[in-house]
Amino acid sequence: MPASCESAVTLPVSVDLHARPAAEFVRTAMGFGASIAVGANGREADAKSLLSVLALGAKAGTTLSLRADGDDAATAVEALAGCVSAFD
Amino acid sequence: MVGIVVVSHSSDLARGLADLAGQVAGPDVSIEPAGGLPDGSLGTDDDRVREAIKRADRGDGVVVLCDLGSAILTVRHVLERSSNGHVVLADAPLVEGAVTAAVVSSAGSSLEDVTRAAEEARGASKL
Repeated sequence: MPASCESAVTLPVSVDLHARPAAEFVRTAMGFGASIAVGANGREADAKSLLSVLALGAKAGTTLSLRADGDDAATAVEALAGCVSAFD
Repeated sequence: MVGIVVVSHSSDLARGLADLAGQVAGPDVSIEPAGGLPDGSLGTDDDRVREAIKRADRGDGVVVLCDLGSAILTVRHVLERSSNGHVVLADAPLVEGAVTAAVVSSAGSSLEDVTRAAEEARGASKL
């Protein structure tokens, strides 16, 4: 049975989730087999789709929810949380 | 990595979009503009498209995106004459398709996956 993992991470106060950070986030997500959803402002997006992540319109300081389903779910969530925390 | 070619009637538009997609996707993806006619006027040119495909091709395939009308005819014409089977014309919106394709390519995805991502950009909501 595939694993499931959830977590939350807050965007740094100086970084909106605009094109370049979103691309880095999506690139990180694409490295995993798990299906991954990222949520913000009451909406949810496919973490592997740049345009859907951009459409979240997440501003600096917003808390993003991360939910992954699949064998590498835990590693994926950890990597994505690390990626978001490292934005500058 | 899969290369990206941006074909537009306008050389400025093709170059600007290639810059934008390159900024978002990072330096590893080869994104080549093919815009305008050799005399600087608006239009699309077989040789420019052919050369851009050649420059973008690093061996993993090339996805071509077009703006409108005769740009599509030009690319089809080029591909009919010199298709080696790994150059694909994507049915995708130009800006969203090129940026998405570049980012998906930068993750090391296959030609098929890059093409699909570009084409799926058509249905993506911006707001």
